[in-house]
Amino acid sequence: MFAAPLAGLAPALSRLRLAMMAPLVAPLMAALLLVPATAALAASAGEATTPPVRDIKFSQFFRLPVGDQGLALSDTLLAADGQDVRLVGYMVSQEQPRPGRFWLTPRPVRMSEHADGEADDLPPATVTVLLDPAQQDRLVAHRDGLLVLTGRLRVGRAEDDTGRVSWVRLELAPEALASQPGAPAAAPHHSH
Amino acid sequence: MKHLPMLLAAASALLAVTAAQAAPTVTRLTPPSELFTSGQPEPVIARFLPGQRFDLQATIRPDAGQRITAARFFIDGKPVGVQVALRDCAAGCIKGVTAETTIATVRAMGVDKPGRHELRLEATQADGQTATARGNFDVIPFTAAMGPKVKNVIILLGDGMGAAQRTAARIVKGGYAQGKVITPLAMDSFPATALVKTASLNSVVTDSSPGMTSYVSGNKNNNNEEGVFPDDTTDPFDNPRIEYLSEYLHRTEGKALGIVTTADVFDATPAGNAVHTSNRGAGTGIVDQFFDDRERTGLTVLLGGGRKWFLPAGTPGSERAQANDYAFSSTDAHTADIVKRWGAAPGAMDKDRDLIRDFQAAGYRYAPTRSALAAAEGADKLLGLFAFSNMNVALDKIDGRRGAKKGVTGTVVDDYGFPDQPMLDEMARAALSTLKKQPKGFVLMIEGASIDKQAHNMDTERWMLDTIEFDRAVQVAQDFARENGDTLVIVTADHECSGAALIGGSMLSDKALQEAIQKKGVSQLRDKVVGVYEKAGFPRYRLAADGYPEATDIDYRLLVGYGANADRYEDWRTNATPLRDPQQPMAKSEPLKWYPPTPSERDDAFGDYLVTGQVPGESAVHTATDIPLSAFGPGALAFTGVIDNTDVFFKLAQAAVKGTTAPADTTGAKRPARAGK
Repeated sequence: MFAAPLAGLAPALSRLRLAMMAPLVAPLMAALLLVPATAALAASAGEATTPPVRDIKFSQFFRLPVGDQGLALSDTLLAADGQDVRLVGYMVSQEQPRPGRFWLTPRPVRMSEHADGEADDLPPATVTVLLDPAQQDRLVAHRDGLLVLTGRLRVGRAEDDTGRVSWVRLELAPEALASQPGAPAAAPHHSH
Repeated sequence: MKHLPMLLAAASALLAVTAAQAAPTVTRLTPPSELFTSGQPEPVIARFLPGQRFDLQATIRPDAGQRITAARFFIDGKPVGVQVALRDCAAGCIKGVTAETTIATVRAMGVDKPGRHELRLEATQADGQTATARGNFDVIPFTAAMGPKVKNVIILLGDGMGAAQRTAARIVKGGYAQGKVITPLAMDSFPATALVKTASLNSVVTDSSPGMTSYVSGNKNNNNEEGVFPDDTTDPFDNPRIEYLSEYLHRTEGKALGIVTTADVFDATPAGNAVHTSNRGAGTGIVDQFFDDRERTGLTVLLGGGRKWFLPAGTPGSERAQANDYAFSSTDAHTADIVKRWGAAPGAMDKDRDLIRDFQAAGYRYAPTRSALAAAEGADKLLGLFAFSNMNVALDKIDGRRGAKKGVTGTVVDDYGFPDQPMLDEMARAALSTLKKQPKGFVLMIEGASIDKQAHNMDTERWMLDTIEFDRAVQVAQDFARENGDTLVIVTADHECSGAALIGGSMLSDKALQEAIQKKGVSQLRDKVVGVYEKAGFPRYRLAADGYPEATDIDYRLLVGYGANADRYEDWRTNATPLRDPQQPMAKSEPLKWYPPTPSERDDAFGDYLVTGQVPGESAVHTATDIPLSAFGPGALAFTGVIDNTDVFFKLAQAAVKGTTAPADTTGAKRPARAGK
């Protein structure tokens, strides 16, 4: 039952982890087994008419390496605009996090906003993750390590109330947050 | 006690009379002074060169229902013969300032006469009542020179580079044998060194904005502010200005300006050489001002990251936004006088501007990569934008060149999409190849930016390698100065970052350290690892042909502790990625843990050796500790003793405008020896 989602996620996770996790091959395989389980649950929790969730990777966002000017957005990214997608990345560790949003990046980044402001180490492929409009007052606790997020992708320029511009956003469903503030996230669903 | 009611009544009556006759109040007088703030004539806060330009400003609060009708500034009792611009605070002023409050400004003043000067303000409100306030400032004279004027000034600024960062780079790069350094750092070979006090106008702990501007304006700024004194408006571009070294030397000596950084070029340190703003985060306006005012600063070279600010808003990746742009009024004298009297560009709300194209049209050669930079050698003017935000750090750039696969799609620089980024010494060399064509000389600021940024992260190996990268740029500048003989070079920092301390050396081989990590816990990772005193020995790193360590995870490695640290988990090994990656075995998924808007708890800790932090949050912070400054070239020995960061400005200007006042080294030579070349 895991064959299809595994086929979609395995390459991404392999690239994400293998180079730096040579001693952790066994745990990595456990991760590969766990993520589809979560994905399956997410799919079953959705309405029957919900279109299938597609996997997308940071490396598919635009042409790499970046050219001499701006980013050349890929057809894959543009086709995912408005679609439900699943994205694997790292939650940016912020000194001054803002409620209702956080950033997801293809590699770990820490922000020292007080000292550095927007002179940051965010890669161009940074995704702004937005909570449901009813949850805009909620501050998401930072989590180390890879995070699998499912939501609706929005592509295009958007300027927030501080003037910060994002080009790719992921809108999470209300269920993406635990039901109680400060509650530990649910343990991964083990199928074995 | 029986007289108490009568006394209270009398007091109330007196208060009522006082309120009815209350006079307008001057709540701020700029330039800042202790004479105004505390009534004490010293220490003098604001100091200027003869003729260096600066703005006068006062904030005057009238009585309720009144308004300020006139304001006049006097210097040494003589009225300033310039029309005073008045604006009220009906809109655009900071919280707590009443709408009737008036801000009086005179732009671009300059005083030639050296010595102590008194600034006085007289303001009149509609009912005829007046307010006065007094402040003071000094004009520092040029002194008789013992040597010729220096043609060029190079400021190498290792952001966040305290003595510990310098020492760590020396140990890693140069190595020690029986207590003696085998190969010293380039900056260690500078003949003069001073200890620099780094406080800003509003804190003993500066940030990078006033840390830089103190060196190149001679004055203290507030944290987060660049080339301006604080004011009471919310407009980040209208603050009272102070003329920068670049502007002064371009105006009086015709010198050009070069800015080279590994950060986003809009960051505080690079911007603090040419841009005037009270908001170091106003990216669009900052990069626009670099270009718009190039005729006033002499900007000829600009190299670093930050391409996102230069792309039109419609181009994917652009960060340009009207919210952080600037445009001065053509009718309101409060800002119109910035254009009229400073000669500054009026600016425009133009997020759709293609700033790269504008630079190119103005004759700048554009280099988006290391290869293009190499091809641009000797260009008349140079713009290089090698990343969208900060450039990648030295360790990751070197790993990229060595093909070390630590990234998602390849190397870290591959992941960022910029695999062909130059090292700082390559950027310095390119900048000099352009600037040396300037017949009247130049001011060049070269910043090793991520020494600080990685110290914030407590990412030891990354700031160590960035300090080594920085020292390689120091070598380039020193070679240039030695060859030309007319160039004064200083190497310093804006502040220390993280309270870094070299606490010793590992007592374990790297293999044994990895085993200790697996066993976990303080007894394994502290007690069995940290070798102090003689147990530290002399860590030996081997350099590869590229000048950087072959490996940072060596046996018996150098260990660093942090005195200004946040909580952290320490395993002493190099982070595989630019931030600690805990290598947790599982990719986590929703639901996410959340809090109410006030962060009151953190749970992102991982690992078993917790080093409890002394500062809140997750980043190490800047410290107030003095930092070293080293000087090379004509007049180098003027940089000795314990000096204020603002003193540096006057020493540089003296050497560039009137000539040196000290020899180049202890032999008494007026210029550095070319021996060994």
